[in-house]
This record gives sequence, C-alpha cells and structure tokens, in this order.
Amino acid sequence: MPNKTGLVFFPAFDWAISSTHPEREERLLYTKDQLFEEGIMDLPEIYEYKARLATFKDIARVHFCVPEIRAQVTEAHLIAAGGTLVLADALMNKEITNGFALVRPPGHHAMRVVHGNRGFCNINNESIMIEYLRKKYRIQKIAIVDTDVHHGDGTQDIYYHDPDVLFISFHQDGRTLYPGSGFPHELGGPRALGATINIPLPPGTTDGGIHYVLEELVLPILNEFQPDLIVNSAGQDNHYTDPLANMRFTAQGYARLNARLKPHLAVLEGGYAIESALPYVNAAIVLAMAELDYSCVREPDYREDKFKQSPEKMNYIKELVEHLKEIWKTRTLLAEQKEFYEGDFYEQKRSIYYDTDHIREQQWEQIRLCKTCAGYQMIKSRGMYPTGMTKTIFGISIPLRACSICQEEARNYYQEKINNPQGLDFIYLQDKPRDTYYRYSVENNSQVEIE
Amino acid sequence: MLIGIDVGGTYTDAVLLRRGEILEKIKIPTKSEDLQTSLLNALEPLLKAAGNEEINRIVLSTTLITNLIATGNIDPVALVLIPGPGLNPKGYQFNVPDTFILSGAIDYRGREIEPLKEKEIKECFEAVKARGVKRVAIVGKFSQRNKSHEEAVASYFKQHAPEIQTVMGYQVSGRLNFPRRVVTSLLTLATQDKFQEFYSQIQKLLVQRGITAPIYILKADGGTLPFQQAFLKPVETIFSGPAASTLGVLALTPIGQTSVVLDIGGTTTDLALILSGKPLLASRGAKINKHLTHVRAFATKSVALGGDSEIQVCENTLEIMPQRAGSAYCLGGPRPTATDAMRVAGMTTIGEEKRAFEAMNMLGKKLKLPAEQTARLVLRTMVQRLAKEINEMFLAWEEEPAYRIWELLQKQKIRPQNVVGIGGSAPAILPLLGKEMGCRALAPPYAEVANAIGAALAKVTLRLTFHFDTERNFYFIEETGVQEKLGTKRELSLADAEELAFTWLKQEGDKLGISPGEEPELVYSEMFNVVRGWSTTGRLYDICVQFPPGILENWLERREQNAE
Repeated sequence: MPNKTGLVFFPAFDWAISSTHPEREERLLYTKDQLFEEGIMDLPEIYEYKARLATFKDIARVHFCVPEIRAQVTEAHLIAAGGTLVLADALMNKEITNGFALVRPPGHHAMRVVHGNRGFCNINNESIMIEYLRKKYRIQKIAIVDTDVHHGDGTQDIYYHDPDVLFISFHQDGRTLYPGSGFPHELGGPRALGATINIPLPPGTTDGGIHYVLEELVLPILNEFQPDLIVNSAGQDNHYTDPLANMRFTAQGYARLNARLKPHLAVLEGGYAIESALPYVNAAIVLAMAELDYSCVREPDYREDKFKQSPEKMNYIKELVEHLKEIWKTRTLLAEQKEFYEGDFYEQKRSIYYDTDHIREQQWEQIRLCKTCAGYQMIKSRGMYPTGMTKTIFGISIPLRACSICQEEARNYYQEKINNPQGLDFIYLQDKPRDTYYRYSVENNSQVEIE
Repeated sequence: MLIGIDVGGTYTDAVLLRRGEILEKIKIPTKSEDLQTSLLNALEPLLKAAGNEEINRIVLSTTLITNLIATGNIDPVALVLIPGPGLNPKGYQFNVPDTFILSGAIDYRGREIEPLKEKEIKECFEAVKARGVKRVAIVGKFSQRNKSHEEAVASYFKQHAPEIQTVMGYQVSGRLNFPRRVVTSLLTLATQDKFQEFYSQIQKLLVQRGITAPIYILKADGGTLPFQQAFLKPVETIFSGPAASTLGVLALTPIGQTSVVLDIGGTTTDLALILSGKPLLASRGAKINKHLTHVRAFATKSVALGGDSEIQVCENTLEIMPQRAGSAYCLGGPRPTATDAMRVAGMTTIGEEKRAFEAMNMLGKKLKLPAEQTARLVLRTMVQRLAKEINEMFLAWEEEPAYRIWELLQKQKIRPQNVVGIGGSAPAILPLLGKEMGCRALAPPYAEVANAIGAALAKVTLRLTFHFDTERNFYFIEETGVQEKLGTKRELSLADAEELAFTWLKQEGDKLGISPGEEPELVYSEMFNVVRGWSTTGRLYDICVQFPPGILENWLERREQNAE
C-alpha cells in the first residue's frame, strides 16, 4: 500500500512581519519553485489540500490572547493554523496516512498567554491542531517531537503540566541561541514529570549526532510512551546553511529523521536559509513522508565527507543521551521526591521576554495538585509593553480530563475573580471539558464567549 | 464570412457565418478513419453557399491529435533528461525506451549548480544514432530559467547529425513542473510531422479550389492560432472539441452570466463551466493518455451518462450503467435506456413508442411501478446524478489550493444561473435539471452545431507569463521560451516590468494577427523582494498578461430561448 501523504502548502506570499524580516513573503518562494518543478503535487502518493481559516474558538482552546484574539492574529495566522486543522481532519477521516502542513507564519514559540509576537510566533499552530484533535476526535495520548533548532518553549509551556502530551525537543544549546531555554532539568510540572524532555545539542552537531539522539533516545522513549499520534514541529533551521543558527544538519539528514520518526502530522516551523536549504529540505521531507526515494535530493554544495561528527562532540552527545535516559527511567521516583507535592497548589513565578515585540511579561502560575486528575491551571500575567503601558490578566485553564471537583472549583474561581477583579484588566476561562471559552473585560464589566 | 468546422468523435459540425447570421449549417457523421474526408465533406456545402463572397477565415477543430495518440500512430522520440537534484529520475515512467539521463543541473534561480559532462553527451549521441531514432526531446529541470544546458546538448546533435530533429523543453513550456514538461515535449515532437502533413494537405486541397482564406486551428484553451503557429505545439490542439462546444454556448447565451455547459451524448455527458461570462480553464494542464501535461485546457468533466446509457434495477433501485449495451430499446436495441424513458415521458418522438413502454415495463416490474412512473424515476435519477456532478465540479473549483491570503479569502461560493444543454438528449433533460438545481434551463438555437459556431467565432488568444529576476539580471517568458538579460533595465520597477510585458504582448499579438482593437488584460502581477542579510538586493516580478479566450462578439446576434 503506497502512503497517502496530505500536504497543505500555504506560503503566504502576501504576508511578512516586515519587508526585510526573515519571516517575509520570499521565505517559501524557492521551495514552491522546487516542489512545483519536481511535480510533487502530481505524485499519486500526494494529496494537496487547501488551507482554511481557523476559528477564534480553535485559538481560544489554547491561548489567552491579550487583550483579545483579534489583536494578536492576522488572517495569515488563521490560515496557517487552519491549514493544520485541514490535515488533522483528513488524517482522522482516513483520507491520508500522514500529512505535512507547509505553512507560515510559524508558531512554536507562542505560549499559553500571548501578549505579542515571540520568536516570530503569535499563535501556536501545533497546539491548536492538537487541542482540536483531542476535542473533536477524543485522541488522548500525543507525542510532539520538535526538531527546530530553537527550543520549542511555547509548546513546552502549553503542555508542561499535561501528562498526556509528551513533548520532546532537541535544539541548539540554549546557552548559545534564542530563546535560551530547553535544558535537561526542564522535565514538566509535578503531575507531568518526564512528559517534557529537552535535548540541548552543541553547535555544529551534524546528521550523525542528531540521528544518534533519535535512535538511542527519542525512538525508545516514544516506544515506551505509546502515543496515539506523533506530531513533528518541523523546523528546518538545523541546516548547515541557516543564517540564524550554527548546526550542520543536511536535507538527507532531515529526510532520514522523518523516515525514522514517522510523524502522523508535521508542521513547518523555522528555517531561514530560504535558498540553500528550504527547497531541498522540504522536497526531501515530503518524499520521505510519502515513503518515496529521497536519495537524489541534495544541496548543490553537499559532500558526504563534510558532515562527519567530531569525536569530541559525539562523546558529549553520548553522555547527554545517557543522562537523559537515566532521567526518563527514574522519572516516577523523581516526581515523588520533589517537594511540590506538599499543599494544594504548586506555584511558580517567571519572567518572559518577547523578542519581536519587546514586551516583558511577569507570570505567576498555580497548578491544582489533585489526587485524581492533572489539576487545573491558573495564570496571572502582567505584560509590560514598550509604550510603558501594562496589562494584567488572570486565566484559568481546565484540562479536558479534569475531575468533576477540579472542574467545579475552577469555574468557581473564575466567578470569584470576576466578583473581585482588583488589579486585573481581563479574566479568562478555558473550559475544555465543556468546550466553552470566556473572556471577561473588567473595564467594560462584560463577558464574551469566544466563538 | 467565417467558417467553423468541428470534426468530433461521432459527428462533424460545420457552419458558415455572415455578420449576424448563420448562412449554412451541416452535421454529418464522422469517419474516424478518414478525418480529411469528413472535414472536406462538411466544408463542401459551405463553400457552395458562400458563392463568390470572401471568406475571412476558416477555423478547424479536429480529433487528429487525440486519434494519433490513441492509436499510437506517433513518431518515436528519444528522451534526454537533465534532471539535477530531486526525485530519483529512475522512478519516472515516461515509457520511452531510449531514455538517457545526463549529469548537470540548474537551480530555481536559473544558476548552473552542476556542469554538463561532454563525455556523457557524446555517449548519449552515439547511442541515439546507433538506435536510429530521428527525433530527440531534450529536457532539463528549470531549463525555462536557463536554457544553456538544453541548448548545449541540442547543438551537439545539430552539429553531428543535422538530420535528427530536436525539441528543447524550454521551447515547449516554461511552466514549473519538469515531468509534465517532459511529456509535453515528447508529444510535441511525436506529433509535429503528422500534424503538418494533415493540415498542409487540407490547405493544398483548398488552394486547388481557389480558397485562400487563412486556416486557423482551435486549441484546448479555446484560443485559435494560424496553422503555421499551431504547428510549433500541435499537442495544444488536443481536446479542442469541448473548447468548441463551450465557446459555442458562450456565443449563444446571455453575456456575462454563470452557466454550466452540458454536452449530452450517447454514453457520456461533458460538463464545462462559464463563470461570469468567462470559460473556466483548468488550473493545471490536461491529462493525455494517462500522462499529465502542460497543455492548458478548459476545466471539463466527463460523466458516464447519456441517452444510450443502459438502465438496470439493482436491489430495488434504478442504476444508470456506465456502459452502452447498444442503441435504445425503442430503436431496436437490446435493453432499456435513458432514451426509452424520455420516449415514454413524451419528451422525444424517436423510435417506437410501444417498444419504449416495453422497456419501462421491464424495469417497472421489478420496482412494482407502471411504465410512466418508471420513466419519470429514470429521468429523476439521471437529473440528480448530473446535479451532484455539477455541484462537485463547483466544489472542486472552490477547493483548489490558494497560496496567498487574498486568493483564499476571495473565492466565494458561486452557483450557476443557467444550465445550458447541447446534444441530442439535452432538450428532454434540461428543464428537469434546471428545476432540480434552481436555475434557468437554456436550450440555445443552433445547439446541434454549437461546436462549429464556437470554432468559427473563437478569438485568437495569446498569453504571456513573465518572470523577472532583477538580482540575477534576466527575465523569461514561459510560453515563448524567450530568455533575455535585463541589461540596462536592471533597476526596473514593477510598473516598468508590466509595461515591458504589455509591449511584448502587443508585438507578439501583431504577429498572430490579433486585431489592434482587442483589449489586453493583466492576469496577475506580483512582486517579491530578494533580501540578503538585511537589505534588498533585487526584486522578482511574476507578471501574466493576455488576450483572453472568447468569441468574436460582433459576428453573432444573440437570441435567447428558454428550454421550458
């Protein structure tokens, strides 16, 4: 049986962050040339779909957008997110066996709370797709493998406390690259310890290093987790010619990664070597997903011997893999040892920086430590904008499988906050079990259900 | 005066038009083994009717290319590929025994990324010679952006064996899609000589009778070209039949409306769409003999349903069978057909009424229904099936991928105002279909020769698609294969580029005899900044201009007629 690979190609040829920004109209232009000249869309294994617009409700299932969704998204964002939903539907309707959303703008740096654009992202395409799949098709266990060179901190944030979603990210070490996070000790919240795995790789890691991580760590973990669905955040900036990072991954390397990982759904993230990498990497990934021969897709300057991993770096990677294997093996024990088991809530505080929009955010986060479910999440967030203005919001998120007590408690908290909104501008309720999403404006004393 | 002739698979239609009126119309069965005779037989009465008046042009639409390809009566061609990186070329299935794959590669910006190897060209040449193949198609990936590799190989052949004919991919089509360019190039070279032979013969016979009117050939995209131009790309004249019928309907129905064109034949119904007065072209090239090509054609759909479709009862439901079991039962055929239902419903008078009732009773017995009700049920089933297919066609158009925000947002849900039918069973089916779909049913006058009218009135069209790359200092035209340096025009703006495009269009249009009164049209115009580092180093412009397909409006008075 040949594979049926769904493609949504939405290069957004009329959208840019700014005219010379890496996220500009030109980004997928040469990819289009290469894919079309190859005749990829004509292959019997390839099913091309038209993107559609995601609804505000699809976005509200994931994000608290400040002050509102309209302020954070353009039509391009809705189409990029909607493109992933088209493939999700096609997959679940068994029209395709896997799918690749070649869409922009990207999304994996967008966190649950959105004050503005971070790392070229406003809304998180993969998470919007995953929440849609969980709600509509009742899929429970999902694994996300983020292969972008940058740590997928947005996706990590959204699923940090969710034991049903395994998030694995390998990326260039955060000490050398934006966003500066994604270290091995970031393992997930108290109820989801080990459901977040970070693999920071040294600059200069080649195909050999990445494939080692895949074979020795990622695939065994996936095999043990047994997800119902694998999602790939398919960034292409590990490429040896990427101008914003320092890795040495090739088109062949990406294709093999994909052939081994076998994601059900892949979503394009970063990748800014728009001429030297993207046309080749994308062609290779599409062929690999369709289980076609990708051996002839090579960059013009590719020479096999140029991409040998140095023994020093290979040793470093091997040690890192050993360390993470140990953590994975002992994750239950580790969870028990952590002090955050005491009390009704686990709390954390942090600050977040939005590089694109120069916004600083302070967050106070509380997770209900429930004995029977993953517990609901409450976030107080203050955004400090470059204009000197601030906005403070309070958001409550009830997981899809929250126990009835947690559901009641969370809804009561929302009402309580509305009755007592001191210091807040907006209050949000993300009620996933009921699939209803509210935003309350303190100034107007009015609540809106997001449709 | 104008003459239009459509030599179709079953019938040959021909008309003679004087400004505003149809002077003569002919419909005769086609002899598929002798197209020339069919064509001349249809032409003869028209010439007689024309008398001594001047004939301005003769437009021909034939199944010549379709027949040549279907019967395999095409010339053998060797294939030389320069694929570069990408899909494994060994996986291609062009079914050409003499295929050669050369090193060398051009990228998406037209840069050479791998040189040709002289030794390989020589070996390939020797092999072609040894095999005795007289035609060679040379096709490279991205050759439309840099023809140097294709030309180097072709000139080697020319130099060492001038008798071998060559065609280069960039000459055939500059649209992206290498495998389609390969197939289209192969078909071009394989049909060129036979095409030339056929029409030269026709021309010669006409000249012998003192007819010197220029001969034009209709193309699949509804445009028409002087015969000597059409010869360059004969494969583009395939599927001119559906184009002719769509143009014919365009000529015979109200201006500017949205219509579905149904050509209801014996076993198939061909559907085409006219959106706000413009025939809809397929977004991708036509499929010929199971191979995808770059041949632009109207978006058409063939439904296995017609007057001769056999009707059966399977598990208490009526089914329209895709095959033909013979002629209608009322005409002495073996089994009940759609035509029998029409006869019983009183929508036609052909055949024997008694036999038609017999046919309906055969079906009715299984359904426990009298003949009249059975006939109505048959017609309703047909109409519902057609309505479903038409809706799906509109849906498919709506669901075509869009790569820009505005494209995705602007595509509205459009549904037809009219269903327009031509072909024998149309008058019976159309009113029912109109009711089913909630739109007007039109059976235009002269529907039986709509194809010939479409051919006679088809405009000469020209489409030029430009790609400018100011950083790399060149531009090319997809349709003509022109590749030129920008030189001093390097700093050109989008407006300059558009102006240049229109200048080209006018110049090329003059060569084809497009009248100076025709309005050229900007199909699209798009600009990309080429940014390297953080500064703009050049611009890419994609511009498409055209004289669109359509009909010579002032040649025909429209008369409207409802089918109801």
